[in-house]
Parts: sequence; structure tokens; C-alpha cells
Amino acid sequence: MYKTEVLLEVKDLKTYFFTDDGVVKAVDGVSFTIHKGEVLGLVGESGCGKSVASLSIMRLVDAPGKIIGGEIIFKGEDLLKKTPEEMRKIRGAEIGMIFQEPMTSLNPVYTIGNQISEAILVHQDIGGEEAKKRTIELLNLVGIPEPERRFNQYPHEMSGGMRQRVMIAMAMSSNPDLLISDEATTALDVTIQAQILELMKDLQKKTGMAILFITHDLAIIAEMADSVAVTYTGKIVEYSDVRTVFKNPKHQYTYGLLMSVPSLVAVETKVELPAIEGMVPNPYHMPQGCHFNPRCPFATETCRKEMPELKELEQQHLVRCLHPVQASKEVV
Amino acid sequence: MRTYLTRRILQLIPVIIGATLIAFFILSLVSDPFAAMIENPKIKLADIVRLKHQWGFDLPIYLRFFKWFGSVVVGNWGPSLLYPGYSAREVIFRALPITLQVMSLEFIFSILLSIPLGAISALKQYSKTDYSLTLFSFFGMSMPTFWFGLMMMIVFSVWLKRPSGVPLLPPGGIQTPGMESAAFLPRMLDRGQYLIMPVIVLSLFSVGGWVRYMRSFMLEVLHQDYLRTARAKGLTERTVIYKHAFRNALIPIITLIALSFPGIVSGAAITEYVFNIPGMGRLVLSAELKNDFPTAMIALTLSTILVVIANLAADVVYSIVDPRIRYS
Amino acid sequence: MANELTLEEKSKGRESYSYWGLVFKRLRKHSMAMIGFFLLLIIIAVVILGPLIWRVSPTQQPEGMEDILLSPCAAHPFGTDEYGRDILARFLYGGRVSIFIGFMAAISSVFFGTVIGLITGFFGGKIDTVLMRLVDIMLSIPTFPLLIALASVLGKGVWQIILVIFVFGWMGDARLVRSVVLSLKEEEFSEAAKAIGVSPLRIMFVHYLPNVMAPIIVSTTLGIGGAIVYEASISFLGFGVQAPLPSWGNMLQHAQDYIFTHQALVWYPGIAIFLTVLSFNFMGDGLRDAMDPRLYR
Repeated sequence: MYKTEVLLEVKDLKTYFFTDDGVVKAVDGVSFTIHKGEVLGLVGESGCGKSVASLSIMRLVDAPGKIIGGEIIFKGEDLLKKTPEEMRKIRGAEIGMIFQEPMTSLNPVYTIGNQISEAILVHQDIGGEEAKKRTIELLNLVGIPEPERRFNQYPHEMSGGMRQRVMIAMAMSSNPDLLISDEATTALDVTIQAQILELMKDLQKKTGMAILFITHDLAIIAEMADSVAVTYTGKIVEYSDVRTVFKNPKHQYTYGLLMSVPSLVAVETKVELPAIEGMVPNPYHMPQGCHFNPRCPFATETCRKEMPELKELEQQHLVRCLHPVQASKEVV
Repeated sequence: MRTYLTRRILQLIPVIIGATLIAFFILSLVSDPFAAMIENPKIKLADIVRLKHQWGFDLPIYLRFFKWFGSVVVGNWGPSLLYPGYSAREVIFRALPITLQVMSLEFIFSILLSIPLGAISALKQYSKTDYSLTLFSFFGMSMPTFWFGLMMMIVFSVWLKRPSGVPLLPPGGIQTPGMESAAFLPRMLDRGQYLIMPVIVLSLFSVGGWVRYMRSFMLEVLHQDYLRTARAKGLTERTVIYKHAFRNALIPIITLIALSFPGIVSGAAITEYVFNIPGMGRLVLSAELKNDFPTAMIALTLSTILVVIANLAADVVYSIVDPRIRYS
Repeated sequence: MANELTLEEKSKGRESYSYWGLVFKRLRKHSMAMIGFFLLLIIIAVVILGPLIWRVSPTQQPEGMEDILLSPCAAHPFGTDEYGRDILARFLYGGRVSIFIGFMAAISSVFFGTVIGLITGFFGGKIDTVLMRLVDIMLSIPTFPLLIALASVLGKGVWQIILVIFVFGWMGDARLVRSVVLSLKEEEFSEAAKAIGVSPLRIMFVHYLPNVMAPIIVSTTLGIGGAIVYEASISFLGFGVQAPLPSWGNMLQHAQDYIFTHQALVWYPGIAIFLTVLSFNFMGDGLRDAMDPRLYR
């Protein structure tokens, strides 16, 4: 896998939500590593803790959510041990983040110029004029035409795609080492989505930053990521580099996900798309044993009793399954 | 901006006329200002007939309205029946400044108090501060204004006395006799003593409601995506709250304040009545009691115009605070 | 809209409660709503049962002067008023009158406002323009002076007061219901219902009415408290319920004359109004929280 220096190492992260109706283990013992310049895809169905994991890295989990265990080692230091003030200085400077909803992620009452230069001014020791110049550069960089005019526009005067570009400009404003993209293209039209992905890839190449790419869309992962972690109910079930996971999926869940992606071959042959049976379990009442067992065609008594460990099945290929997919089936 | 304002003002004119019309019809049901005159032996029948004609009381009601409205527009507001010998205009312009004084004090006091308190309540949701402020605002919303006035009077004018034996605060009125010709500062201090209780009484209701609403608007804003963005940028919590949250929470509170304006005018009327303040509210009530139709009508019309102007002002402030409002 | 469940409730999936079951469950957890509810139960029990136990006439005026403005004693636990009438009896009967007026005025306002709101929101066009202009106009008039004027025309009976409060009370509800209907009209189910040929009346009553129920219930609850205060204010000024029939408001009518000497005249009815209105406000707030999952966190 990666030979470069480790940038971020998340170890056994646990973020639980303490609600009136019980405890939801949104992130339950997640570990992964991002090297400098690596793009890691975190993939899974909605509601399986991907976003909470990313917010935990930023330490922006709102009550009743709470990080109750684990370590988040960023550049050799545990972010969970930082004071709020130290953490604030890392946010937006060393780790940038973009969110799913471009329509609501920008403050409606300030111009976008104001909102981007604000991010620059808070982390860099420069004056207002300088910040404005830098903002216009950034707007240029993310492909917004007429940046001088756009500088004074409000979010409601821009399209969703443009707003997401503004969000990216904001996240890039201090040249972060890590960019977290939390379903950043999900809400966009397909063509706009492609443009934004292209832009992020381009920026990644230019700056060499690492990206934690969170999505439920496997096609995007195939397009963007170097390695991929598949999550299910707050746990990683399969983790390897992108080629391995796509060519040789071992967990039944990953296999099911990959099989349910429509492909041109399937369209031509009119083969019915297989779907994973059942639905994501109720977070308040997780099934005993492997959380995937009610939906798994190969589940056995053991699967219904104990949660399997995440084990290295092959070289650099971690799988949490007692009955991994046998044949090396080509799925994509 | 200018065309927007002009258009808004033009839209408000039918509202004012409509409101006046409704007030006119209701008051016409009440008052026969001539019934009392006929019984008064000092007034000659011929005069009554002349007055009846002058005010259009010999016309059907809808024509009477136009006659009245026409003469009001040209500035002929008729005589006051409540204070014989004075014109309605004189009576009203004596009362108007007092009401404006009370109301602007209450308005400033309420806004300065309720916006920060509501914001604090939201920021410290479920804390002891939040619970006490919630309790306080329910207290304010549930207290009948006039009764709270009576309670204040019992405490500050009956129970608490100055060493000289005079009540701590005067139970009513607007000025100590003899202070009319005093210097500015002592006169204002004297006025202040009389206004403390009415202003507090009148504010309590608005403050109670506004604190509650400011709290919920602020809570709503605190859960918005753009605050998460602001935090993800690494802004200080101070900037997140004061720059990003507060301004957005102010937008709906402006509408709310504008909507509560008629209520404040009504509240002012009963407060003035309780504290015996010779303002517009008391004037309207007494004019209605004494069938002083011209004075009551003018006073009601002016109050309506006041409300409408306040709404217009709110619109303008709104469009300044919220860039999403277009003038087109 | 208001009937949506929060994510966590949705995720509970099959074993989930019905919407009203959930509202009830949340309401039981809402301590203010519960305090309001039990306080109100007590108040209603007192005014209904009280006169059956304390069988002194609230209106009888004794002859002579010796029974006037008595301090509390065995024969008159709350004392007597300026006409020598028993304050406790007046207090108990007055509560019935005040609460009855509050209920009737609020319910009729909400009912009328809802009908107007449904009609204007649903049909739009000229009806909407005309009626909403009327609402705008009536909302800009400081209602209290006109309330007084109208009350003095209509007379001082209980039903007249209800009518007066109703006339100036329906506009807010009309606006509220109209805005809910307008937003419902934008939703897909309206289009779908129209597309499959559901009649307008059916859409209005079967699809829209249940959706406006939540705000209507909150508005009624808060409205009862508001109407009680209105009644009290009108009666305090002497335009309300005609003595000797007592109401909490008209018991205060002459109280101001006695604040230096007989403060008890001010205390009892005032505290009763305050507590009743407070309990309605508590309940209204709880209902709003319980019915609007966005506020429930």
C-alpha cells in the first residue's frame, strides 16, 4: 500500500449518541489510516456512522453525541487530547471540511467573499485587502467565473454547484493537509457532480493534500479513492486498497453492494440487479452477533452469537466476516 | 429601495382607510353624541341641528364616513365633547406626546432586555439560567397587564414608603403638581418616577413573549448547517455566535416585534387607564365612555397609522438585515 | 410538515407509535405541560365543585352596612366586597363564568379562522385577496379600544362578551391555517390527489384539515388563556360581564379603589386569572413541542 508518511491515524474510535430512548453506537471502534496525499474512501449505506466519524475527527459532534473512546492521531498528536482552542486552530487550517448540503451550508446573510476571507483572516496573519486578494485567487482556483463580481454576491444568488465550489474554496483557503468531503456531491446533479469531482481531483494533484472521501456511491469511490473502508452499523467491515476491494470483495455486505451497482453490461444483458435483502437494523436494537447476519445468506449460528473480528484475510486486506466470499468473482 | 418604499407606502394607504372604516362603523354603533346634548338645557336645539349637519349625522352612515374622512384629511378634526371648549386636535396633541414617551421607553426597554435574554436562554439550553428565564417569560405572558399594574401599585405605593411617609413611587399621574415650570433635569427626574411602573408593567408582557421567541429562533439557528461550516472553518465560538448565529436569529424577531405592535398600543391603553396617565389610550377609553365621537375616531385612526408605520419600519429593517429580500 | 417523525423515531420502524400516540408520549415527558395540565384540572374541579360545597349566594347583598368589606372570618372565609357579597362564592362562580367565556371565545375564533384559512388557502384568487386584505386591516387596528366600543354596543351579557372577543380573535388563526394549506398545496400528495381526481372538498377536509390540526390545537390552547385575559380586561373597565353576575374580571372592576385599604379584593381573582392563563400557556407550549418534532430534541 502506501509508503509515504502517515498523516492521520484513527484508532478504535467510539462515538455514541445518548438519547432518551437509549444509546446509539454511531461509530463503534473504527480504525483507519490516511497517509500524506492518500485519498481514502469511507463507504456505506446512509445512517451507518460515516458522517459522525468525520465530524469526530473535527471534534464537531453535537450533543447528545459524544466521543467516548479511541485516539485520533493527526501529524503525530492526538486530537482528542487537544484543548478546544488548539483544536479550533487546526480546523479550517490543517483540516478543511466540505458538507453535503451546499444550499444550507453557507450563511445566507453574508456575502461569499466575506465568508471565505473570514476563514483566511482567522488563521493567517494578513490584512483585509490581502485576504480579499487571496479570496479572489481561491475563487479563480475553484473555477468560479468573474470572481471579483462573485466576491460581493450572497449565497442565494448562486447555484448549488457554485455554492459547493465556494465551500471548497473556503476549505482550501489555508492549504490544509487533509480535506474531509462528507457526501459533498450527493445533493448535486450528475453533470455538476462530475465537475466538482474533477475539481477535487485536480486540487488534490496540485496540492498533494490527503482526502477523506465519504460517500454512499461506489462509482465515486472507484473514481476518486486510493483505498476504501466499507462501514456497516458503525463498524468497518472491509478495508483495503480500491483495486482489491473492487476486484476481490470478501465481506458479504461489500459483495452485495458491488453487485447492486447497475452497469452497462447488466443493461445490455437485461439481468435483474440483485439487491441486498432487508434493511439497516434499528440503531437501538442491534442484532446479536454480526450486525449483518439478518441480511446475510451465509449466516450461521456463530454469526448470530458473536461479532467477528476485523482480520487481515490477505496481505493488506482486512475483513470482518466468518464466511468471506470464496471465489474471486469479478464484479465490476 | 426608493421605489420599493413608495410601493409599500401606497399599499398601506388602503389598509389605513380600511381600518378607519371599520373603526368608524363600530364607533357609529356606539355613540350618539347628541343624546347627551339634547338633555342638556344649556344647548339650544338649533345648535344641535347645525352640529348634526356639520358632522354629517343627518346623512346615511357610508356618506357620513366620507364626509368625516374628507374633513379629517383637510385638518378639520371637530370639537372635543369630552373637554368642552377644546378642539379634538388640541386634546389629542396634548395626549400624544405622553403616549409616545411611554411607548418608546417600553419599546427600547423590552428590546434591550428580551433579545439578549432570549439568546442567553438558547445558548444555555436546559441550564438553570434557561429554566429561570423560561419561567420568567411564562410569568410575563400569563399576567394580565392591568392586574400586574395593581400589584405593582400595592407594592411600591402602598407597602413601600419613603422615610417621609410618601409612597416610594407615585401610584398614578404623570407629574407632581408644581413641577411644570421646573428646570429640565428635575422635571425629567420627576417624570421618571411616574413612568417607572407603567413602563415595567407594559414591558413585562412583550418581554415575556419575545424572550421565548428569541430563544426558539436562536435554537433553530444553532442547528443550522452554516454554523457547522463556521465552526469547521476554525472560527472562535464568539464569532460563530455573534456574527453567524445572532444576526440570523434577529431576522424573524423583527417580524414578530412588528406583529406585536397593535398589542402594545392596546396594552398601553389599559396601562394608562390603571396608572391614570393622560395619554392617548386613556383618552380613547374616556372618549368612548363619554360618547366623544370625534376625539375617539381621531385617536383610533392615529393609533392605526402608528401601527402601520411601525410595520413599514420593520419592513425596512428586515430588508437591511436579510439580503434575500429583493425590492423588485 | 408537522406530522413528520424525527429520524430516530422513524428508525424505530415497525414497532412505532401512531402520530398521536407519539404526541401523547412526548407530552407526558414534558414537565411544564404536565404541571399546566394538573393545575388546570385542579382549577376546573374547584370552580365546578366549589359552588356545590360552598352554598352561599354570590349575588345576595345583605341589608345594612355592617357586612360591607369584611375581613376574612368564619362566615366569609375570603371576606366580603364593597356590597357585602361573599367573595369566596363570587370567586367560585366567577371562575365558571371566566373559564366558560375563555373556552367559547377561543373555540369559536379558531373554528371560524380555520374555515377562512382553508377557503382562502385552497381557492386563492379573489376570495383570498379580499379576505386576506380584511385580515391585514383588522390586524393593524389596536383592537382593545374597539373591543370596548363593541362591548358597549352589544351589552354586558356572557354571550355578548364571547361575540366581542370572537370578532377580533379569528384573524391570526386564519392566517396560520392559510399558510399551512399553501405549503401543503406545494407538496406532492396534493398533486397526486388532484391527478387521480379527488374532489376539492375531500382534499380540503380529508387531507388538509388533519395537517392543520396540530397548529390549531396549540392555537386553541393559547387562545383560551388569551380570551380569559381579554374578558378580565374588558370587565375590569366595566364593559364586560354585568354585575351582580360575577366573573374574575368584574370582581376587579372596583378593586383599584380599595388597594390602599382592602387588598384582598385584588388578590384572589387576579391570582386565579394568572394561574389559569399560566396553565393554558404551559400546556400550549408543551403541545407545540410535542407536535413539532423539529423542536423536540
